[in-house]
Amino acid sequence: MTDDKDVLRDVWSGRIPTCFTLYQDELTEREAEPYYLLLPRVSYLTLVTDKVKKHFQKVMRTEDISEIWFEFEGIPLKWHYPIGLLFDLHASNTSLPWSITVHFKNFPFKDLLHCQSKDVIEAHFMSSVKEADALKHKSQVINEMQKKDHKQLWMGLQNDKFDQFWAINRKLMEYSPEEGGFRYIPFRIYQATSERPFVQKLFRPVANDGKPHTLDDLVKEVCPAAIPPEGGEKKYQVMIHGIEPLLETPLQWLSEHFSYPDNFLHIAIIPQPTD
Amino acid sequence: MDSESRNNMILGEEKFRYFCLEFLKHSQDIGDDWEWKNVQGEEEGYLSKTCYQTRVTKSDDGKKHEQEDEILSTITLEGDHEVEDDDNCVLPQGSLQSEVINYEYHVLYSISYQAPVLYFRASFLDGTPLTLDAIWAKVHDSYKPRLLHGPWETITQQEHPILGQPFFVLHPCRTNEFMSSIQGSASREGNYITSWLSTVGPVVGLSLPLSYGRTV
Repeated sequence: MTDDKDVLRDVWSGRIPTCFTLYQDELTEREAEPYYLLLPRVSYLTLVTDKVKKHFQKVMRTEDISEIWFEFEGIPLKWHYPIGLLFDLHASNTSLPWSITVHFKNFPFKDLLHCQSKDVIEAHFMSSVKEADALKHKSQVINEMQKKDHKQLWMGLQNDKFDQFWAINRKLMEYSPEEGGFRYIPFRIYQATSERPFVQKLFRPVANDGKPHTLDDLVKEVCPAAIPPEGGEKKYQVMIHGIEPLLETPLQWLSEHFSYPDNFLHIAIIPQPTD
Repeated sequence: MDSESRNNMILGEEKFRYFCLEFLKHSQDIGDDWEWKNVQGEEEGYLSKTCYQTRVTKSDDGKKHEQEDEILSTITLEGDHEVEDDDNCVLPQGSLQSEVINYEYHVLYSISYQAPVLYFRASFLDGTPLTLDAIWAKVHDSYKPRLLHGPWETITQQEHPILGQPFFVLHPCRTNEFMSSIQGSASREGNYITSWLSTVGPVVGLSLPLSYGRTV
């Protein structure tokens, strides 16, 4: 178990070197230098970019500034997805640093949720945690927690405090040994090419015959095209936290160790790079 | 599973579709505009309705001080009424303006909560969407205490899980609880979707004709 704790810490401390550039059509009073930042994979764009916002607003007039939003290669980035997922889904085979364009005008209201305060991020985060617990424990664990425990989860994430977060989060990861896992595994599978933003289904950690379900079982069920046929060419990568976990990894273990702080496994299925 | 669903009014996905289709039959009978939208290549789908609501606003002495009157009527584009009809109702002064808002309501199934969820969005005729504040302003005062009571029992903006676009959502976490008290655990076999929608819909300006309740 000591080794597994290291996995939690490694997942928590994943960072993506990022270069923020102001969109060319934004009006500035002097030239806007790019801004470099290490983005925590498990956090949210609008939660960790106060400095980016200040940096660019220094060279802009207030009347030219409205709600900030971020874009990568023409794709508006959804702040309500964890940063690591956004990178895996849209940018994993591009060169680093990740180059994100910053906008202060023409907010794409048809694509992005508004995010005018940290409260909005907190509400979104907590509703994900709550949904995950509905799947794992019929909401029993989250409902038995006190308000201050909920706050501690959020503050742990917001202030990048691993121990503070996990002191509470471990309760959300418990299950009775006779059940062999959670009721259902909270997961979402994303494909950049798909019309639907993601797919989510009810999936148990243990098969009817008592065998643990693996990542392979899950992908076969939800997105069979992503698994190469026997002896066939591998066309897709199944990514979580920037790596391709072995497909034979038990799903219950992945759920306990590879879930984002919102308690969901966010899995990106992307085309295998050809070079 | 059976005792579980009786105690806590869980709605399975197949039941959800069944009740939706029954609901649609009555909608078609009375010319209400609900439709079923299928997710491409899947059994999954959702109920959808688009309608227009007219609201009269008064501008005092050109100050643009908006005074909100009640919503005069809910009308559908292909319905018998026309938007202009409403202007004939009240005209004490010459400075009344009517404002038309396009509402889109979607009823989706949440597998996590095993309950229906009401998604909606609203925009002016030029496509400008209503903000969350504007939506809140339209919630009738009698519903506000209930919505503000709990931390999640509220209206938030969320991604539509099928369209991937921003919608407003009435959060579903207490749905199973209140549906148990409405439907009762006894043998009453009403349409879940009708009972549920007639309870949550009015909060966000969606009302069902009473005739839905008379059909099973």
